Amino acid sequence: MPKVARLHAILWGVFSMGGFIAAFLLPVLIYLVGIAYPLGLWPVTNEDPTSAILNHHHIGTLFLFVTVAGSLYHGIFRFQSTLTEVGLARAKRALEAIGYLIIILGILATAIYLLQYNPSFFSLP
Amino acid sequence: MSKEKPFPEYRRKLGPGWWLSNGHFTQYMIREWTSFFVAVFSLIYIYELSLFASGAKDSALALMRNPGIIAFNVLALLFTLYHASTWFYLIGKVQPIKLGKTTSKPWQALLLNIVLLLIISYAVIQIFIVR
Amino acid sequence: MSQDVATVRVTRYRPEKDGEPFFQDYKVPYRKDMVVLDALNYIKANLDGTLTYRWSCRMGVCGSCGASVDGVPKLTCASFLHEFKGRTIKVEPLPHFPVIKDLVVNMDDFMHKLVEIKPWIIRDKESPPEEGEYRQSAEELERYQQFSSCINCMLCYSACPVYGLNEKFLGPAATALAYRYIKDSRDQGKDARFPIVHEIEGVWECTLVGECSVVCPKGVDPMLAIQKTKILGATNALKSLLMPRGGGK
Repeated sequence: MPKVARLHAILWGVFSMGGFIAAFLLPVLIYLVGIAYPLGLWPVTNEDPTSAILNHHHIGTLFLFVTVAGSLYHGIFRFQSTLTEVGLARAKRALEAIGYLIIILGILATAIYLLQYNPSFFSLP
Repeated sequence: MSKEKPFPEYRRKLGPGWWLSNGHFTQYMIREWTSFFVAVFSLIYIYELSLFASGAKDSALALMRNPGIIAFNVLALLFTLYHASTWFYLIGKVQPIKLGKTTSKPWQALLLNIVLLLIISYAVIQIFIVR
Repeated sequence: MSQDVATVRVTRYRPEKDGEPFFQDYKVPYRKDMVVLDALNYIKANLDGTLTYRWSCRMGVCGSCGASVDGVPKLTCASFLHEFKGRTIKVEPLPHFPVIKDLVVNMDDFMHKLVEIKPWIIRDKESPPEEGEYRQSAEELERYQQFSSCINCMLCYSACPVYGLNEKFLGPAATALAYRYIKDSRDQGKDARFPIVHEIEGVWECTLVGECSVVCPKGVDPMLAIQKTKILGATNALKSLLMPRGGGK
């Protein structure tokens, strides 16, 4: 008997949220961290962008977590599904498992690193 | 329903290169491959965050100045922007806005969301970097 | 009236003789108002009586004459020969479906899916005819009207690589029709239909290629129906997660 795939539905919802995050928040992060700072382009500052964002305490840390976790989820989920469409259909289950493993570990690692850098995140300002 | 079939039916299979057969499919595949750049940039950046967290800020900054990484980042930005524009266009297709008798077109959603993207990006730079 | 001659390259598959399909070329004289289906009828009547294909209405209503014309799924009754002037017109059986003979494909899979989504109005309790019809406003009709134009021609399935890769995928037309009833104000069958469209091989397999909506000869937008059904499924699942009792209906 067919059954509503609840978990699948929720995971698709998260994937979709990740798509919005990667579209609206990721480009500026790539530009600041990966292009503008190393090449000395606008906005030129003394402090590197990652430190600047992290030193902006809660809101900066939250911005990084949402952007990185959302983009990672979206990117990995979509990429493993694309691989099944170009000849790896047989490895579908394995790709899904590896994909979710990378997503879970990546998001956990992001949270841990951010808290390590900014341990007071959960204490009130 | 399981009638005996007297002659075999011919089954065709979709090969791994199916997306080259039609321009729409090729465009679709490029759209899906943007996810590779989104995923790999995220992973590289998580690694950089680990260096920041362990106090090795200088090696993180050195990694960012690596020409190979910069070249990848430029590609990643282009592909992420392509992802953004396809995503914005599809939002307009799936959730058009109705105002009275007129319904919004996908390209209007694309334009509106590009403006929104620029505002958000500028705000991020103003709040976190320029201050 | 001047006549041109078209070269029509048709897939032949004779299961009793051949292990593999092959192409056969026919020369067909045509006028400006003739379509690919007319060419096939001309071949059958004048050149080769063994050519096998499905057709019925000749006017884009019955949905039986679909084939891949020049690599694109089309109704052969709506593809004019003069559009291919100077080129060989390749006519192949609809992609992704098993071929029975020549241009005739096996539609069993689609027929099962069509029945599975229960394409009729479901009521908790039927009211007797004396109580009158189930009334509907123009706005309520508009919510599903385009999805009711489907003629089951299966072009969308032939255009869908996701279906081509995974036959279990519920696919465009069946989902569009399910959505047509989900959106119908007179229908009360959500509990029966959601398990089918929101099953693991239901809408979640779709990766939004969008070609289904491009090839549809009746202007139906199955891609939209699938996306809307996904959003419904995700919202329902989230509701039932946050409110385990009574939510997610």
